[in-house]
Amino acid sequence: MATVSLKHIEKIYPNIEGEKKHHFGKKKQEEKKKSNLKQVEGGVLAVEDFNLEIADREFVVLVGPSGCGKSTTLRMIAGLEEITSGELRIDGKLVNDVAPKDRDIAMVFQSYALYPHMTVRENMAFPLKLRKMPQDQIDKKVDEAAEILGITQYLDRKPKALSGGQRQRVAIGRAIVREPKVLLMDEPLSNLDAKLRNQMRAEIIKLRQRIDTTFIYVTHDQTEAMTLGDRIVIMRDGVVQQVGTPQEVFDHPANLFVAGFIGVPQMNFFDAKLVKENGVYKAIVGDATFVPNEAKQKRLTAQNVEPQDVTLGIRPEHVTLTDDAPQLVTGTVDVSEMMGSSIHLHLNTLGKDVIVIVQTQDLKEEKRGGFELGEKVSFTFDGDVIHLFSKKDEKNLEF
Amino acid sequence: MASKQETLTSEKRNKTIASVILTIICIIWVLPIVSVVINSFKKNTFVKTETFALPNAQSAAGWSNFIKGMTFGNYPFMAAVANSVIITVLSTFLILFFCSMAAWYIARVNSKFCKILYYLCIFSMVVPFQMVMFTLSKTADTLQLNTPFTIPIVYLGFGAGLAIFMFVGFVKSIPIEIEEAASIDGCGPIRTFFRVVLPMLKPTLISVGILEVMWVWNDYLLPYLVLDINKYRTIPIHIQYLKGSYGTVDLGATMALILLSIIPVIVFYLALQKYIIKGVAAGAVKG
Ligand SMILES: Nc1ncnc2c1ncn2[C@@H]1O[C@H](COP(=O)(O)OP(=O)(O)OP(=O)(O)O)[C@@H](O)[C@H]1O
Ligand SMILES: [Mg+2]
Repeated sequence: MATVSLKHIEKIYPNIEGEKKHHFGKKKQEEKKKSNLKQVEGGVLAVEDFNLEIADREFVVLVGPSGCGKSTTLRMIAGLEEITSGELRIDGKLVNDVAPKDRDIAMVFQSYALYPHMTVRENMAFPLKLRKMPQDQIDKKVDEAAEILGITQYLDRKPKALSGGQRQRVAIGRAIVREPKVLLMDEPLSNLDAKLRNQMRAEIIKLRQRIDTTFIYVTHDQTEAMTLGDRIVIMRDGVVQQVGTPQEVFDHPANLFVAGFIGVPQMNFFDAKLVKENGVYKAIVGDATFVPNEAKQKRLTAQNVEPQDVTLGIRPEHVTLTDDAPQLVTGTVDVSEMMGSSIHLHLNTLGKDVIVIVQTQDLKEEKRGGFELGEKVSFTFDGDVIHLFSKKDEKNLEF
Repeated sequence: MASKQETLTSEKRNKTIASVILTIICIIWVLPIVSVVINSFKKNTFVKTETFALPNAQSAAGWSNFIKGMTFGNYPFMAAVANSVIITVLSTFLILFFCSMAAWYIARVNSKFCKILYYLCIFSMVVPFQMVMFTLSKTADTLQLNTPFTIPIVYLGFGAGLAIFMFVGFVKSIPIEIEEAASIDGCGPIRTFFRVVLPMLKPTLISVGILEVMWVWNDYLLPYLVLDINKYRTIPIHIQYLKGSYGTVDLGATMALILLSIIPVIVFYLALQKYIIKGVAAGAVKG
């Protein structure tokens, strides 16, 4: 139970000397280039100007592709990584130089990090013992936590005699017995198989209702982020791209990256022309013209957007397959993926790969088995749900 | 089908050949020990003439060799045992305690100082003892390291190389997250080491412990050079005094004493060997 405030947090990993001489040096450097991290004096900038106010009991998810600095940010909050510059406050108290054990936080690691020489009970009791809690109280808390997580029958086993999912529960148990102010989780589910992952995700949601604490959760999986987070923070190459509720991020992506990252299947992008006729913005794709809705018009006008070449984004679920609409875009079928109740159709349209989700029940009988390769189809979508991104800086033109 | 059978039989033949060779090597290997055991029960004169024969009615000496070995001379055998035990236990403890700590620091702190320290330790393994022994005996005398209670410091110096090398290798294989979890759970560095790292090091502690015990217990040259021989003798030094004044040696008694001196090490090894190989970090992290 605590607020967490990050102000202008930055992390520079020093270039390790001698590494360049190492014969792997060249490969490493190439990797660095690929990760697009900024090279600054004294190292690489892994996290750049991170600002976030986390409210009491909020569930914040840091999400982004591999190497974007999520773990680094979390580890700075935990105190495992030194903060290069900026201010980190937990409950209003500046904790930049406070040791991890005095920050009153708990952390669940991706690799579980259980103590191999202790039983499950000892693992969970360890943080309490270190705090000199009386034994009867420790037993009570451990039993309670074990109950919540359904690991009561494993309490006397050693971690090596547990499955991955059970170990993960123990790791979570060890973190929650202490009732920490902030609970940090670094990809806690990524070592589990898909089914168990879904199950544990649901359990984390339940867990969250039972314990009063602030959660900061790191994942590279956008589904996890969307389902768990009160607010999600999307990062890329050490820079925060957007902070918002799952709905906001989904409906109003701040830039092309966020738009492409959030939502499965990915948002479709077209090259389009933005024009302004009689004070009304219109987007032209191929031969079709789409008119954004009033709210969008207003925002575009407020931003004083010039007519220009833009990238138009449209989510696959908003695209309708039809021959009969005023504004049609056509393409040829590349791949037709049968998913059961729907078909994911990959179309080659105007040189771009476009995905359309078609509900099987909406199709004519003969089409339900799938589409033929190279078949010509046409589709349309609503101007209300299009997203317009600048070609120059990839920002959403509405904001 | 036929060729398959052929390969099977040729495989069998290879196995048989290997078994025979290994058996021969094994016999050669244990022969000295067997001969020590056999001869310790023979009268002195028969040791030379019937070295590899089992003791018979004529040559059997019963326990007399052992009794002689434990009672000869004017230095009490038990004092030698006590010295050996003190030196071995103290040295092994010092080596395990300090080297595991040092190795943890070297493995986890990424600095020039640590690298230099590590290579110094490795280098110390390469320097032969004979190269430093003369200066050592003088230095040890000056520093009062010539008693059973202080000579373990010398052993710590000579044993550190191998011990640190082994410990560092092992610590590096422990995922650092476990220590990070400990630091979040409320451990400072000291507690992290003693409550989390040290228990995980147990198999390495035992392996290194066995090596050091065998080395220190059987060592002859270093205590001979360093200790004040008139006051303190270890078992290997004591055995040496069975040599008579004219170069005659009571071989039977020598064998008996050697046998007595290796029994504790063998028992120690057998008691602990099952811990050596076990993986430790199993179950701590993914997998
Ligand atoms: N100790 C280090 N020294 C130098 N660079 C580092 C170090 N640790 C991480 N980095 C770099 O910092 C960047 C961010 O790393 P971080 O571990 O935070 O990524 P991440 O977002 O957690 O990725 P993943 O999803 O793969 O876990 C990476 O590009 C990485 O190469
Ligand atoms: Mg990470």
